[in-house]
Amino acid sequence: MRRRLSQVCPAVFVLVLLSPRYALAQWVTWYQFGTEGSYVHEIAHLLFAFSMLFFIHEIFHARLQRFRGFRLLVWTWAILTFWNLDAFIGHWADWTLHNPVILGQGWGRELLMYDFQTWLVYVTKIDHSLFLVPAFLLFYLGLRALVQKPGAE
Amino acid sequence: MIALPLAPLWILEYLSALTILILNLLSLRLSQRLVVRDPENALWLFLNWLAIVFFMFSITHLISHALHDLIVYWNHPNLALAQRIFGGFDTVIYVVIASITLFFHRIQRMYRRMEADHHHLEETSHEILALNREMEALVMERTMSEMALGMAHGIRNPLHVIGGFSHRLLRKTDEDDPSRAWATAIAEEARRIEQMVERFEMLAQRKTSFFAQEDLNVIVRSTLELLLPELKAKRISLVAEICSEPLVGRFNKHLLKVALSHLVRNAVEATRPGGTLLVRTAMEQKFAVLIIHDTGRGMPQDVVEKVFVPFYTTKIGGTGLGMVFVRQIVDEHRGIITLDSLVGQGTTVTIRLPHRFTDRPEVGEEFPPPPPPAAPAAPETPETSGTPEPPKDRD
Repeated sequence: MRRRLSQVCPAVFVLVLLSPRYALAQWVTWYQFGTEGSYVHEIAHLLFAFSMLFFIHEIFHARLQRFRGFRLLVWTWAILTFWNLDAFIGHWADWTLHNPVILGQGWGRELLMYDFQTWLVYVTKIDHSLFLVPAFLLFYLGLRALVQKPGAE
Repeated sequence: MIALPLAPLWILEYLSALTILILNLLSLRLSQRLVVRDPENALWLFLNWLAIVFFMFSITHLISHALHDLIVYWNHPNLALAQRIFGGFDTVIYVVIASITLFFHRIQRMYRRMEADHHHLEETSHEILALNREMEALVMERTMSEMALGMAHGIRNPLHVIGGFSHRLLRKTDEDDPSRAWATAIAEEARRIEQMVERFEMLAQRKTSFFAQEDLNVIVRSTLELLLPELKAKRISLVAEICSEPLVGRFNKHLLKVALSHLVRNAVEATRPGGTLLVRTAMEQKFAVLIIHDTGRGMPQDVVEKVFVPFYTTKIGGTGLGMVFVRQIVDEHRGIITLDSLVGQGTTVTIRLPHRFTDRPEVGEEFPPPPPPAAPAAPETPETSGTPEPPKDRD
């Protein structure tokens, strides 16, 4: 199975790379807001957030929050929900930002904060450390608690 | 107007992305350990799937963001195609995460229902097992009791003959005849054996401890009281027509309660909310009669014919043994059970149990007092009495 996957995945990748341009038409300007790809991506974030909320509901419905492992997982889903909302706003701000003014060269580049949207882009780019790291740390700790003591309350 | 450096943002972003990658790799290993421990646990499977997708997400997210920054802030437009592909993967992964989670919600519901069914089936199996053991013990006790009474009866008949002849010999033998002592010894020993047989009979009768003098009306009332909340929960009105006369017989209270509960629960399941359940007890010539009638959906004739067939069931998760046990309980009481049903009109179950109205149960006394000590062997001669009458069996 793994061998087949290792054969198929690169083949698909190469196929996509070598496919005619019109097949990728919807991807050409996907990071610019207003294209099909951007809508799909934004909706995917909302769907992701919605499913996390649904899972929190599921945990409480099954009364699994009594266990430490699941309580940590609930926090994971909650933070991921916030991250998705943050990413939704961040993507919108990023993709609608016309001609960002970048000063300097190489690692010394600076972004000119000329309006609110630029600030929004800058702030929402910190979402990785703000949301994703604690979320996945809690996911790991939750799983570890479930592995070590599944019935620990 | 100020300009903020982008380097700290990138360093923070890529350090975070690497941390996420490591955390997800560790989480994936942990989730695999959970699955290995219990491969049939839906929750562990879900967490494992989620960990796999999160790991993929951490890779594609890192790559797509790096490519985006290279294009926008480092002027590498030639990377646009690769960035679009990885960005697309990101989108797909979000959808996959949502799909797994929402699918799990349905699976979890099914899993919970399966677990509940499993517990219910286990409980039912235990109940059936206990009931089966009780029935086996009951049948064994009854058989042993009947065998003992039969043996006592078999011994008593030749004993009457021996006793009769020995007494006749005694009367016909002179006082100084040396054989008189022998005849006396035979008569005395015959009497001793008869006393032993009587004691044996008494013990055998006491063996029927599974049956006691009970009033069917009391059994029905107490069972209905227990089941009333279930009827109320389904808004089914109960009409209990209890016979004014006590319906006393030698019944096993526990088994009859089990049988009645099963029949009432069946009726409740078959009846729609707002329906009526009638439970009536009555007296017939030789029987105490119990009738359970519901206004439920009824059963077609082919189902009615198979109701008492073991393992036949129309219920999902049913064992098909409930009605079989009900009939066995009635059989053990030497009773008769009949079932009439019409589709759309309801079902009527009638149970007839033999009763004795002469023996009223007394407080603190389950059995009637033992008879007085037996009289010595009958002195009638075989010529005058013919074949001695066997003693009447007592229940």
